[in-house]
Amino acid sequence: MSTFIQTLFVGLRLGSIYALVALGYTMVYGIIRLINFAHGDFIMVGGYTMIFTVPAVLALGLPAWAAVIAAIAVCALVGMGTELIAYRPVRKKGTKMTALITAIAMSLLLENLAQAIPAIGPNPKVASQIFTAGGISFAGVTLEYTTLLTIVISAIVMVVLFQFTQRTKLGRAMRCVSEDKEAATLMGINVNHTILATFAIGSGLAAVAALMYMAQYPKIYTTMGSLLGLKAFVSAVLGGIGIIPGAVLGGIVIGLVESFTTSYVSSSMADAFVFLILIVVLVLKPAGILGKNVGEKV
Amino acid sequence: MKRKRLLSILLALSLAASLTACGGSGESSAPAVDGESAAPAESSGEPILIGTISPNTGNLAAYGTAVTTGAALAVEEINAAGGLLGRQLEIINADDQYDPTECLNAFNSLVSQGVGLIVGSVTSGCTSAITGAANEEEVCLITPTSTADSITTEDDFVFRSCYADSFQGAIAAAYAKQAGYDKVGMVYCAADTYSKGLYDSFSAACETYGVEVAAVESTASMDVQDYTNQFAAMVNAGVQFVYAPFYYDVIGPYLVTQARAAGYTGVIMGADGYDTTPDYVVDGADLTAFNNVYWTNHYDPADTSEKSVAFVSAYEAKYGNTPSAFAALAYDCVMMYKAAIEAAGSADPVEVRDTLAADGVVYDCITGTYSLDETGTPVKGASIIAFEAGTGADGKPAVVSKLLDVVTELPQA
Amino acid sequence: MKQNKTMQGYLLNTVVIVVLFAAFQMLTAAYGGSGSFKLVIAPCLWQCCYLIILAASLNLVLGFLGQLSLGHCGFMAIGAYTAALLSLACERSEVFKNANDPVYLVIIFACILAAGVLSALVGLLVGIPALRLKGDYLAIITLGFGMIIVNIINNLPFCGQDGLALGSASASLYKNGLGFGSKSKVTFLWVALLTTIVCMTMMFMFIRSKYGRCIRAIRDDEIAASASGINTSFYKVMTFAYSAFFAGVAGALYACANATLSTSSFAFTNGGILNSTFIVVMVVLGGMGSLTGSVVAAVVMFLVNYQIKNGAWVALLPASVQGVFQYPMLVYAILLIIIIVFRPKGIFGAYEFSLRNLPADLKASRARKAAEKAERKEAGAHV
Repeated sequence: MSTFIQTLFVGLRLGSIYALVALGYTMVYGIIRLINFAHGDFIMVGGYTMIFTVPAVLALGLPAWAAVIAAIAVCALVGMGTELIAYRPVRKKGTKMTALITAIAMSLLLENLAQAIPAIGPNPKVASQIFTAGGISFAGVTLEYTTLLTIVISAIVMVVLFQFTQRTKLGRAMRCVSEDKEAATLMGINVNHTILATFAIGSGLAAVAALMYMAQYPKIYTTMGSLLGLKAFVSAVLGGIGIIPGAVLGGIVIGLVESFTTSYVSSSMADAFVFLILIVVLVLKPAGILGKNVGEKV
Repeated sequence: MKRKRLLSILLALSLAASLTACGGSGESSAPAVDGESAAPAESSGEPILIGTISPNTGNLAAYGTAVTTGAALAVEEINAAGGLLGRQLEIINADDQYDPTECLNAFNSLVSQGVGLIVGSVTSGCTSAITGAANEEEVCLITPTSTADSITTEDDFVFRSCYADSFQGAIAAAYAKQAGYDKVGMVYCAADTYSKGLYDSFSAACETYGVEVAAVESTASMDVQDYTNQFAAMVNAGVQFVYAPFYYDVIGPYLVTQARAAGYTGVIMGADGYDTTPDYVVDGADLTAFNNVYWTNHYDPADTSEKSVAFVSAYEAKYGNTPSAFAALAYDCVMMYKAAIEAAGSADPVEVRDTLAADGVVYDCITGTYSLDETGTPVKGASIIAFEAGTGADGKPAVVSKLLDVVTELPQA
Repeated sequence: MKQNKTMQGYLLNTVVIVVLFAAFQMLTAAYGGSGSFKLVIAPCLWQCCYLIILAASLNLVLGFLGQLSLGHCGFMAIGAYTAALLSLACERSEVFKNANDPVYLVIIFACILAAGVLSALVGLLVGIPALRLKGDYLAIITLGFGMIIVNIINNLPFCGQDGLALGSASASLYKNGLGFGSKSKVTFLWVALLTTIVCMTMMFMFIRSKYGRCIRAIRDDEIAASASGINTSFYKVMTFAYSAFFAGVAGALYACANATLSTSSFAFTNGGILNSTFIVVMVVLGGMGSLTGSVVAAVVMFLVNYQIKNGAWVALLPASVQGVFQYPMLVYAILLIIIIVFRPKGIFGAYEFSLRNLPADLKASRARKAAEKAERKEAGAHV
């Protein structure tokens, strides 16, 4: 029994992180239909920003997590910069595939640029403890408060994002752009501004995800975004990409599958099983768990 | 439009030209770096070229940095003391990005620049890509840190300054036996050469010493963040000794803390990858978790021997941090070349090889005083080091290392 | 008349390729022993060969069928391991003694073929879910297959970390199996070149055939294609398998060129240029739907990567620039972005380089440019 609960908690812990990262992925994808490979690297940027700002924040007498504000600002700026420098020019001229390649190149650029900065360098950095340790115990197994907090934050972000896209003017503009760029332009929506805002929000979310990631897995390194981003992307697709609640659901499912495979099936084959489940789900439901199958118009 | 085309044509031309230029440089033995004209390699003014191959960028760049700095320090010291055979040493660094193909490219590039003595590569996976080529090209290769047994067994021109996996794993198993653990567990990564190699040697040695391996868990990759489930399985199996061959970047922030959180209180034993772990412990975490963590290492930075102290202080003065074992081993590689070149009276790779392969040459190095066995692996001891919560040099609480034992020979079964 | 022109084209291509190949053989014979050829040019050519086959084979799926596949390196891994294991098995059962054995040549080609066939079989498996999924969902599935393949290989006792990457197997792969040392890489360079030529020819024939036209029809409009009586399921799965076959062949060449195998080289998180995303980059850079474009892009990408790291000219740059060049992947990323911004449709677009059409194409291009210029002038006059 305790093994089961332990496994469940580990799954939730992993899943809550994937969910939070996947929200950022799905946000950008929902609007411009671009798999933003650099999103994982925005998390890296957020992580390093916090590593460097936490001492200053503590010196000001604020709690360590307040550093996330600086991280959100930096991430949003990097996200908007990426959009302005790389994505926008390419979107104007190229196809969907060229945009994808630009995303891959941006991811590569960010990872290697970080490594070339002397203050960051190739060595991983370890964060200081952000939240006080502790948790709730069930059957001798502890569910960390940070895990609970991550889930709560994911839920809040999910609700806020959902309401934002449904109710605010900017949110409506985003959905409009996602559906039809030309029609949106005709309706007087500034498509470029809307996409820029999407990037700012999505990248800001990456900083929040970085905070929660660091709180539970306190190691930051330049290539941390690649595998994390990949798993989060898989989560977003599993839940139905572009669907905000789907990202959270997908994240939790992937985390649980990973944890339960490690405990009960095979610890060395965990990755294979995660993807096997993904393939099975997608073959049964080709648009993800919450996705709707849209019939093709002829 | 026209300008763009021109640009692309220029780009293509420059690439093609540079390929031929690069190829051409193979004809002359002069390094392109300082643009000297070709001259016979043995003339006294020519520097002796030593190449290093290491992952200077990419995921394992930390190791690459350690190796290049260690080797550079050695070369600097030798040059300051007047060089070898009246010639200065010159170091050329090559980057393998932790990829076997790039490693072979780097090797070929070094050899075509006239390098005959190479230090590298760092990981066993990369080194195994160039051992055959080193033999064929008759280029000396001393790897500082590739511990896989097979690296030196087949090839005459390949040596190392570290011990082999079979020794390192066996020492850990012998330690378990000696400390009275009859039942042990293992957590390792099946997808990683280093982890898997140590897994093999440890489990083989357990069989020899009659220690039962009661539970084995693996991870899917070295990038995994969560080890809780694996250690929960260890708790369920009731083992009090777990062999976990991972690297410092996993041990410090993740593995030890998570193992204790999963309720595992026993011994965690590891290998040389645990080096520099104390620098990667979370600030504010419970440091007592690191009690009962042991590991085997090539050398002990706290060693008080004159040579060791001199090395550590010179390194700290130059680079501002304590040298890891990787830096020390790379330093030793250059020192082995120095001893061999002096003994051979020549820097010719074949003659250096003959000296390195000859019996009875004793190398007095940072990581021990040793000679090489018939495969080219040093016969030297391993330090067993324990972590414990203590006070760091700056007076703050920190994880500190304590030398438990120096094992020079494997105990009988 | 049209038949005639096609025949002319084939004839011209064959003649040029045979002449080039023969010239190359003579060059190899003349300079094969020299250091720079053996150490720099021959290994580079080997790497170019497998990258060309990889990029072109992915182009079949990505450019001609219009499906994004992010797991192409998985097939390559299958091919590499199949070829390596088969060659070792032959050596151990003493089918051949050393590389001078005439049987050895047969073994090489048998290994390459077996690698392709096994990959193709797995490609069939991947192709089946591809029937139901589209776009990014398909991308993620193929990515998943790539990860699964690597994960499974890691856990197979006879080919994971303790099978080939390590242990005496790796050394004997070099000595006795398919793994070529520097000298053998020169001696057997023709194998790589010939394999590449044959593979490229097969791919060209495929896209020019009835099958090629069908898959292009599916790419352009699947519903219209199926309404015109094209069995879309059959063609999709077949293209996946056909593409996987060549990826497997590329894997076999990779095994030959490297003499050691490690699954980390084929993993998605591998930082080098050999990873599934980079193969996609090569295809897009070369132009989706242009096989010649893939060839050019593969060579360019390889050269850029190689030159940034090993080029002697880097030493001539000013110190500050050299500092940046210590991070090859950084320079590579910047170059990639520049190329994409300047040529967003890829180097070739959908244009297919052809010797026979070259004069006509040049003429057309010149005419187009002149027209553009005139237009601009006219526009300028209006303003």
